[in-house]
Amino acid sequence: MSARSFTDRDIHLALDGELPEDERAAYQIWLEANPDMKARSLRYAADNAALRNLFAGVLEEPVPARLVTAVNGEGPRRKQATPWWRMVAAASLLIAGGLGGYLAGMSGLGMGGDSDDRMAQLAIAAHQTFASDKNRPVEVDGSDQAYLTGWLSKRTGLTLVAPDLSKDGFTLLGGRLVPADGATAALMLYADADGNRISVYVVAEGTERSKGTFTLASGGPEAVYWQDEGYGCAIVGTLPPEQMGTVARNAYKQLIAGAART
Amino acid sequence: MRSRLMDDKKAAILQEIPRLRRYARALLRDRDSADDLVQDSLERALLRMDNWRTGESPRRWLFTIMHHLFIDQMRKVSRRGEAAILPLEASEALATPAIQAESVASREIVDALQQISPDRRAALVMVAIEGFSYAEAATMLGVPAGTLMSRIARGREELRGLLDDQARRRAIRIVEK
Repeated sequence: MSARSFTDRDIHLALDGELPEDERAAYQIWLEANPDMKARSLRYAADNAALRNLFAGVLEEPVPARLVTAVNGEGPRRKQATPWWRMVAAASLLIAGGLGGYLAGMSGLGMGGDSDDRMAQLAIAAHQTFASDKNRPVEVDGSDQAYLTGWLSKRTGLTLVAPDLSKDGFTLLGGRLVPADGATAALMLYADADGNRISVYVVAEGTERSKGTFTLASGGPEAVYWQDEGYGCAIVGTLPPEQMGTVARNAYKQLIAGAART
Repeated sequence: MRSRLMDDKKAAILQEIPRLRRYARALLRDRDSADDLVQDSLERALLRMDNWRTGESPRRWLFTIMHHLFIDQMRKVSRRGEAAILPLEASEALATPAIQAESVASREIVDALQQISPDRRAALVMVAIEGFSYAEAATMLGVPAGTLMSRIARGREELRGLLDDQARRRAIRIVEK
């Protein structure tokens, strides 16, 4: 047979079963004669096997009911909110603030955004009113944290802690109560050394599990929020998206851990 | 007659769900995001049932639908600078790993896979994990065979490089301890 010359491309063809039958013998000879190529072939084969093994278990998993329902068309459908907020959340954690309009536009499409959007709007409104107040942003300052959180907990009906965000460069200025559509929300304000301020807004409200980010159509600060039954929280600020995401997650984890302690 | 045919079609689609889930999991890592993608694909498929030529397995048709949704999703995200869907909540991410009981080695592979560009990742996963032929994968991904080949070659080489980097970093960490 004609001894065509092989290249590293053929390694992939051979591995994927795409090398014509009548070329395989010649390929093997070529491989044996080229230790570099042989090593590469073995390595690719090992990586391939690892990939396959890694995901093999997925085939054995029980199929989630919502997927069966999607085909058979009975029962409750998943909330529309899920896919888009995941996208928006991921995206806005990672890009600069200029997209406010776009993000708000997305949530304005009527896909799911109800109580969570409303909560985010209230949190942003509170942040805009109070965080920009240079002299008196808070009612109770952060020097006595036990008093502050005790007061906020009592008034909101939640077990609140003031998250320690010093790792992210933010110190607690203090907190205040803000009205929240008939409920009372706690607003805790933080500042970093450059004077950037962020708010942690918590309210005992929420009817569904959701999370995402929200920015008003007119731009301005961004809210990263989580909502669960009877609990909602939003971290609001104007930080680079990645930093915003980190700070928000850090705050959220501490709030949840604090609430779980009781 | 229509409903009988419909039931058969649905049964055939249901059978493909495990495969679709595996493909999605390899593409997206996060379990919930992957299942969301599968669900979106199934919902879209049901709306376009007529596009599936009966008598054929729905597999390639479903994978094609899912691939389009995946690429749309990646484009939307990458327009904003990043091609990754992040699980926001740490506890949730931990509760739903891409695979059960992730070992360090398997986590490294999953991480590396996520760093490969979506086009290459899809090509590599279709062929290396899902076992499609080049011709099948090229059709589903809507690219010429030559393009598919180079995506696979580059994807595989990229994966190798990423795994080597991780192994080196791990070695350095061990030395530093």
